[in-house]
Amino acid sequence: MERTVRLKIRRQDAADKPETRRWEEFSVPWQPQMNVISALMHIQRNPVTADGTTVAPIVWEMSCLEEVCGACTMLVNGRVRQSCTALVDQIAPGGEVITLEPMTKFPLVRDLVVDRSRMFEDLKRVKAWVNLDGSHELGPGPRQSQENQEEAYPLSRCMTCGCCLEACPQVNPRSTFIGPAAINQVRLFNLHPSGKMHAAERLEALMDEGGVDGCGKAQNCVEVCPKEIPLVDSIAQVSRQTTKHMLFGWLLK
Amino acid sequence: MTDKNFETHEHDVLVIGAGGAGLRAAIEASAAGLSVGLICKSLLGKAHTVMAEGGVAAALGNVEPRDNWKVHFRDTMKGGRYLNQWRMAQLHAMEAPDRVNELEEWGAIFDRTHDGKILQRNFGGHTYPRLAHVGDRTGLEMIRTLQQHGIHTGMHVYMECTLTRLFTAGEGDDKRVTGCFGYWRENGKFVVFKTKAIVMASGGIGRIFKINSNSWECTGDGQALAYLAGAELMDMEFMQFHPTGMVWPPSVRGTLITEGVRGEGGTLRNKDGKRIMFGYIPELYASDTAKTEEEADLWLRESTTGIASKAKRTPDLLPRDIVARAIHTEVKAGRGSPHGGVFLDIATRRSAEDIKKKLPAMYHQFMELGDVDITKEPMEVGPTGHYTMGGIKVDPNTQESRVKGLFAAGECAAGMHGSNRLGGNSLSDLLVFGRIAGEHAAKFAKSVQAKETDKGAIEAAEKEALAPFSRDEGPNPFLLHEDLMNQMQKYVGIMRNEADLASGLKEVERLKDAQSRISVTGNRHYNAAWHESIDMRNMLIVSEAMARAAAQRKESRGGHAREDFTEMDKEHFAKVNIVLRYGKGGDMELEEVALPPVPDEIKKILEEKE
Repeated sequence: MERTVRLKIRRQDAADKPETRRWEEFSVPWQPQMNVISALMHIQRNPVTADGTTVAPIVWEMSCLEEVCGACTMLVNGRVRQSCTALVDQIAPGGEVITLEPMTKFPLVRDLVVDRSRMFEDLKRVKAWVNLDGSHELGPGPRQSQENQEEAYPLSRCMTCGCCLEACPQVNPRSTFIGPAAINQVRLFNLHPSGKMHAAERLEALMDEGGVDGCGKAQNCVEVCPKEIPLVDSIAQVSRQTTKHMLFGWLLK
Repeated sequence: MTDKNFETHEHDVLVIGAGGAGLRAAIEASAAGLSVGLICKSLLGKAHTVMAEGGVAAALGNVEPRDNWKVHFRDTMKGGRYLNQWRMAQLHAMEAPDRVNELEEWGAIFDRTHDGKILQRNFGGHTYPRLAHVGDRTGLEMIRTLQQHGIHTGMHVYMECTLTRLFTAGEGDDKRVTGCFGYWRENGKFVVFKTKAIVMASGGIGRIFKINSNSWECTGDGQALAYLAGAELMDMEFMQFHPTGMVWPPSVRGTLITEGVRGEGGTLRNKDGKRIMFGYIPELYASDTAKTEEEADLWLRESTTGIASKAKRTPDLLPRDIVARAIHTEVKAGRGSPHGGVFLDIATRRSAEDIKKKLPAMYHQFMELGDVDITKEPMEVGPTGHYTMGGIKVDPNTQESRVKGLFAAGECAAGMHGSNRLGGNSLSDLLVFGRIAGEHAAKFAKSVQAKETDKGAIEAAEKEALAPFSRDEGPNPFLLHEDLMNQMQKYVGIMRNEADLASGLKEVERLKDAQSRISVTGNRHYNAAWHESIDMRNMLIVSEAMARAAAQRKESRGGHAREDFTEMDKEHFAKVNIVLRYGKGGDMELEEVALPPVPDEIKKILEEKE
């Protein structure tokens, strides 16, 4: 018999239609080293469930298919990750059923699609940018050592995929905790030679409710980050910076 | 009356597309103090720019002080086989260093030289090490920086919104944009935007090919929207097939492997272990390419360690069109790798530590996607549809199209790269022309009053978008898309000839008819089949343009190779660009347009030798 891949997928037609929440099972032909996305694409072209019912095509987000953009993040067998690098043979070596679910910490849109816009609002809140406007004849930028670059580099790899928020127990409907991604961006921009000048504003944004103190040190974020960003270090660093700023910041004003 | 029906937003300038060019244009227009809307089909930060790997080309002269804009300009024109709009290539070479410095000021993290300057690496067709880079994930860094810089300028970002029509007022040379029509992908509700100026920055068309390196968004939307609104398309026959896409495993076939692998010393070998590129050095590049492995390796060693090498360049770094065709030829001659590519070897050329440090994303990509350790084994690579040199025809100084107030920048615009783009020149293109387009769109918006859109046009756009729901029965859009990709790959691919192109056109006609009969079921709430049916219209327009232009150009040049006309034609086709426009009655009209004359002082620069 032809080898198949079995998938069990959590579906819901719209955010305001919780009554449509259901599981559907599919069976698609196996291909060497196929990933979860190629299985989803197959279902999209031929949206028929394992018991032969034709259904609406499943929707999910994707873009780069090489784990650079973070769009295709979802729960694969209960673990948050990018589905493009979820190789079928690795996650279900014995032909086990693969479950796919949308992330739970963001508002659901449909099927496997969620609304991640809060991550951009968080970046605004912590002013994760360098304050310069317009274009200028800038000339060469400030010199930076390779060491400084090497400290900043891992922090800059964030692709706002949402894994760290999904895994964080402190990010939940009862809390306003901003989560690891934005805190890491504060550390990154506070390292930048020109970004440093507005370090205080970023720290103050994290001293309010829902700021860096919200971390419960579960360290799940660092476990799930696909880019291996040292998120726990970043939180600790920024936490020290805010404490220092709280104690001595007024002296500098 | 229509305004009551549709959600409506109004901005001075609308930027369509939130990749590098769109973000840069939006930042510029915002800086001019205008109200700016930025519309993207997916989430902010997930645009295709994110996948750019190797770096951004700018003659900073940090590694090689002899580099300057003139050398960069000369390389770009030569790489494009002199079909580029010289003024765009000049502006690009002159302004790229400022744009890179600016990006660094805004927080981008580039790899450094020993003395703390931005490090630059070698790339195909660039005389000197010229690509500023962040490991091999330069595009992500650029997007992250621009996105974070952009969101604080006060621009309004509309995510997950697809546009289906541009609105115009007036006719002929007075035609002007007034707005556009689209839908929210999430709920399928329609939305109308009113504006004085539009910057189209919607990227490429790679999804028309079976094997491609592009994300799902690259469906030629901007080119098609502009074409339908009366702008002209140019150079559509030129498609860049990147020489090194993954060929195995099948689920990731086409995924890009950065040219940076060869920039760091990687070489292409056939199944006999022979380095293939020494057999494919064309006349145009013969005088500055190494003929022996010893010289090629000496050059690599010296130029990557900051020594001004007197040796000639390795043929592994010839421009992409030449390398892609070499691989195609090797595979056809039966000298390919097991899965139909050739071998790209970095494992025997650099230490495992160097590879992981210099090419971390490639190492990760092969480990994760292909279960291949590139520090131990060679990669299997083959050509993949990557980049279109063609697009919306624009004024070289302002980026404005034939329609007033409609500007274009980045991959969806034509002219900068001629018949072939050099690696690294696209990220710099986005920054340079994104800024110019943003600046001129802002100027235009300040100089005019807003104009109302004809209500009939809005209603017609709604009707067109809803049509697939009105049919009870018809083709499945996903299968049509797959069909189109197969036909384009087969007939309008890396090697073309008259009979194939005629077949390709016939297939496109067949698919156009099928597209007009697509039926979609369900409601409009995140309906992927409906989205695909609309994207198909756009993909068919750019496919037809490519096939028509390719049939017209009876020569081989850059990203257009003909088996029946294997040489460059110096007499006729060297002097014209092929332009396509929406003709009377809806047929595609084609015209050959003479290249603009090159002034004497620019000719002098082109003729100078290093």
